[in-house]
This record gives sequence, C-alpha cells and structure tokens, in this order.
Amino acid sequence: MARSQRFLSIVEGFLRSSERFPDRPAVEVAGTTLGYGELRTRAASLGATLERHTPDGGSPLTAVFAHRSPTAFAGVLAALWRGYGYVPLNRTFPPTRTRTMLERSGCRSLIVDLESSEQVADVLAGLAGPLLVLLPDHHDARAFRQRWPQHVFVCAGEFEPARAFRPGTPDSIAYLLFTSGSTGTPKGVMVAQRNVRHFVDVMAERYSITEQDRFSQTFDMTFDLSAFDMFVAWERGACLCCPSQRTLLNPGRFIQESKLTVWFSVPSVGMFMKRLGMLKPDMYPTLRWSLFCGEPLPAEIASAWAGAAPKSIIENLYGPTELTIACTLYRWNAASSPAECHLGLVPIGWPYPGMEAIVVNELLQEVAPDQEGELLMAGPQRSLGYWQDAVKTTAAFVHVPGRTELFYRTGDRVRRSSGDGPMVYLGRLDHQVKIQGYRVELGEVEAHLRREANVEAAVALGWPMTPSGAAGIVAFVGDTVLSPAELRERVRATLPAYAVPREIRVLPKLPLNANGKVDRTALLRLLEHPE
Amino acid sequence: MRHVSAAEVRAVILDHVAPYLEARGLKPEQVADDFDLLTEGIIDSMGILALIAMIESHFEIKVDMEDLDPEHLTVVGPLSRYFEQKSRPGAH
Repeated sequence: MARSQRFLSIVEGFLRSSERFPDRPAVEVAGTTLGYGELRTRAASLGATLERHTPDGGSPLTAVFAHRSPTAFAGVLAALWRGYGYVPLNRTFPPTRTRTMLERSGCRSLIVDLESSEQVADVLAGLAGPLLVLLPDHHDARAFRQRWPQHVFVCAGEFEPARAFRPGTPDSIAYLLFTSGSTGTPKGVMVAQRNVRHFVDVMAERYSITEQDRFSQTFDMTFDLSAFDMFVAWERGACLCCPSQRTLLNPGRFIQESKLTVWFSVPSVGMFMKRLGMLKPDMYPTLRWSLFCGEPLPAEIASAWAGAAPKSIIENLYGPTELTIACTLYRWNAASSPAECHLGLVPIGWPYPGMEAIVVNELLQEVAPDQEGELLMAGPQRSLGYWQDAVKTTAAFVHVPGRTELFYRTGDRVRRSSGDGPMVYLGRLDHQVKIQGYRVELGEVEAHLRREANVEAAVALGWPMTPSGAAGIVAFVGDTVLSPAELRERVRATLPAYAVPREIRVLPKLPLNANGKVDRTALLRLLEHPE
Repeated sequence: MRHVSAAEVRAVILDHVAPYLEARGLKPEQVADDFDLLTEGIIDSMGILALIAMIESHFEIKVDMEDLDPEHLTVVGPLSRYFEQKSRPGAH
C-alpha cells in the first residue's frame, strides 16, 4: 500500500515520537529531564492557551523569550502546535535589541521563562497592546497585570487543557530568525515548514538516528543550528542534552557525562578544546557523529577530533540561515581529506540531496570548474525570504539566466574542482565576518557607530583574524566628542556582545583611497603594524 | 617558564575583559577576588575558554582542563592563583 503523501509538519514528527516513546527522555535541561509525554503535555497546554487567546488571521508568529530552560523547548513546540512559527529571543542580548526583534516580527504573543521575565519591563517598554504573554514559570500574574493593564498575562494554573494541534501548511513559517543586516536593523529570515521538513528528513536518514541517540545542544535558539538539534532528535525519539553555560565551560566533560552520541558545534569549540587538553586520544568513545558548522573547519581540528572520538564520523556542514540550517556537507577522511583541504580548511563538500549549487560570476553566469565565484543555491530548503522586506528578498533570491528555479545568493566565494570534486570555501564577497560562529555584518556595526558618534564615517574590521573569521571587532571612527569608552557603552546597548567592538579608535580623519572611499586596507595595516 | 604571580595574572584577566567591565560601569580595581565573570554576565562560556587560552599563551603556561575546577574557572581570584601555581617550578 502506498504511504500517505500528506505533508508531515515538524510538530507531528515530535508527536509520533511521543506516542512511540512516551517515557523516554526528550530533553535534559537545567538539571531536569522531560520525558516525551511530559513535554508533549506542556506544549499542548501552552499551544491550546495560545489558540484560545489568539484569533485566526492574526500574526502567524509567537516569540519564545526563554533560554536553556524547559519552557524554552515547550514554548517552541507550543508555537508550532498552534500552527505558528516561533521567533527565538535571547536574554543574553541587549533588551533593546530584543524589543526591536519583537516589534519588527509583529508577534502578538510571547512565551517567557522565569529568568527572562526579569527583562520583561525593558522589552515591553513602548510596545502597543494588547500582547498575549504566557508565563509558564510563574504562579501569580497579578503584578504583571497591574503594571501593564494593556496586555494579557496568563500564568501556570490558568492554561487551557490540551487540544488537537494545528498542522499549518507546508508554506507556514516554522521559525523567523533575525540575522545581522547591513543597514543597522536585523533582517528576519522566514523559514517554512517544508524547508525544515526536507532538512530533517535528510539528516535523520543520513545519520540513522534512533531513540538511543543523545544530542548536544551547544547552540542558543537564536542560532538556527539549534533547530538541527531539536527537530532531528525529536523526529526519531532521541534525547536532546542542553547544557548550562557553566557546563559548556568543559565541553569534554559534558560529552562524557551526558554520554552524547551526536555532537554539533562551531569549530571554535573544537579549537579551544584542542588548546586546553580536551582532545586527547579516545576521550569520547560514545560519539557516533561529530558535526561542525557555522565557521570554516580547520583540518588540524578535524584530525585531532578524529583521534579523540575514534568511533565517530566527522562531517563539516555549511549553510546560511536562508537555506535552512545547512545545505552542503563533507565527510572527513583521515587518508584522503588533507589533500582536498584549501589553506588548511576542510572543504564544504557537496549539496544535500535535492539541493542544487552553482558557482557564478558577477553577471550570474556559471564559471568553469576550477574557477572561483559566488555560490548560489536552489532547492527545497530555499527559505521564503525576508520578513516584510520585498526589496532585500528580491535582491538576494534571484533568477539566473536560462534557469526557472529561484536561487539564493549566499555572498560566499567558493571554488568547485573539476571532476565533481568538493567545493572549498574561500571567503565572503562583502563585509561580513564570523565571530565565534556568529555572522556579523560589519556594516551594521558601522551604522550603529555612526549614529551614536554622530559622525559620517566609521569602519569596523574583524580583528585579530583567525582561520575561521575573526576573534573580535576593532572599529575606527572620525572625530567625535565621545570618548571611545562612552561610544562602546552606547553601542553595547543595541548590539549583541560578540558584535561590540573590543576596541574603538578615534582618528581625526579616516584615510581615504583613490575613489574617495574610506581605505579599509590602510586601517587594517594600522592594526597589523602598530607604530 | 618563569614564575608568575597571581597579581600579574589578575591584571591580564582584567585588561582582557576591561571593555565589558567598563560597559557595566565597573573599574578593574573594584573587581573583588570572588567576582564571577560568568554569573555576572561579563563573558559567556566561549569567552571564558578564549580567556584561558589567552592567558595560557601570554604566560606560556600549559593548561589541562581536567585539573581545573569548573566552579573556580570563572572566578577572578581562584583562576589567577591556578596559573600562579601552575607556573611554579616542579608544577605540572
């Protein structure tokens, strides 16, 4: 009998696992273990409460303002249960940035955990009501209601009993994720249910995930790689192990004590582990899969990791948020891979099944094999574009001469070797850098600096450079009345910590090149040769 | 490897995190011995690992995370003393 072709939403993957394995652990977080049945009950009740208070036809999004807590995971599932997409918010970001994301997303509902609730006053300031705020970790909402009578607060004990989930459609937004934007305001990437479904199906199958697996969650939810951890684990009844920041201080001990079978992190974590004696031979025999993404992977880290986790297969993944988590991959092979590395970096490999990659010149014409160019990709993981920004969407999702499919311009320079060899990553076309795996648009940092310093020119540079991007940012601004310390303090209020310049230098005049533009290379030389 | 005092290590730590302290209105001399860089929200776990790697190369002291107590790793005083002790002749 042919299997049903009905679309399976992401929450249904979780539900099927909760029916098969109600007593198996779904999440270990903050010292507690939530079984599939328990997490399902929490999510269903929150989802039903969302449905009771949000009319159909309203905003299709719910914000989840929660961090490494049971409510964070129940909140994500509750939004999906309602048929909505989730918008992750992060209390380690400045509250003003969180408020901007909440405002720009147009969410009318918000799920908040205990620790994040301390920032609610800053985040709600100036927001027009009514907003629905669910407080699963509070047993009394009176203080909130008194202070913000324009909003609706619902706390534990007031939630609705579970109701049937809303599947949504394949094109419903599964999550809206904000990435750094060059104009100073973050852009929201709309990732559809069908995008995530394709990704999850490919990954769960490729890695033969079962209910015996135990996944790391090193990524915060504001980083889309966290969606791999959650949805691939839950699809097959596996357990997600979400460490606290303190536990993450010793990633090696975390792998051992949590008996992880699937590891996924930025390569920087591996680099620190190697430096600090945490990649000794055979330290991690439980690992089956070791996956890296978010930054270029140095070959020496892959090699050291292979020794420390000898039973695991190492894969280097690549993918911008716009192409749903990851869309190319490369399997490390101790014998053959070193010859395929470029400048000591592991190749990004080949497109996922169903995805298509082309390498083009500035006219969007395909270049010959062995030539470098911009990577463009099409296929079922190509996201819906930018939230309420048709101009940026049209600029990034393009028609290519002679092709009918829409391609996403990654802005990444790659080279594909002839004979179907793996693609190697060469760098960015624009002024983006990766700081500890976070994508930072230098233009955004510059826009904030210009506004705060009230100057015409500001330059942000990734510095010092590392094999995977940069360790931090150093900025130069023209003559301003503010001291560098004052300026840093002001931009810190709007930028996430990793994007705040470590150092700001005020120059009477920024150097210009022949075209009258600020000479970034001259500034870089200043950093390279301080004198 | 020369002997390094806890005070020297402390100065290097505070210099490294100075921008983050400054943004919180704190001066290095106000930072107490039991100040926890992680729980105070000065830097996150990746930041701590980067800090330790930085001290390691600054003073050329080899660190093994296995003998570092995670509770002390993030606290200015104990972390400084750990490096002092590691730099003593005969320490390993």
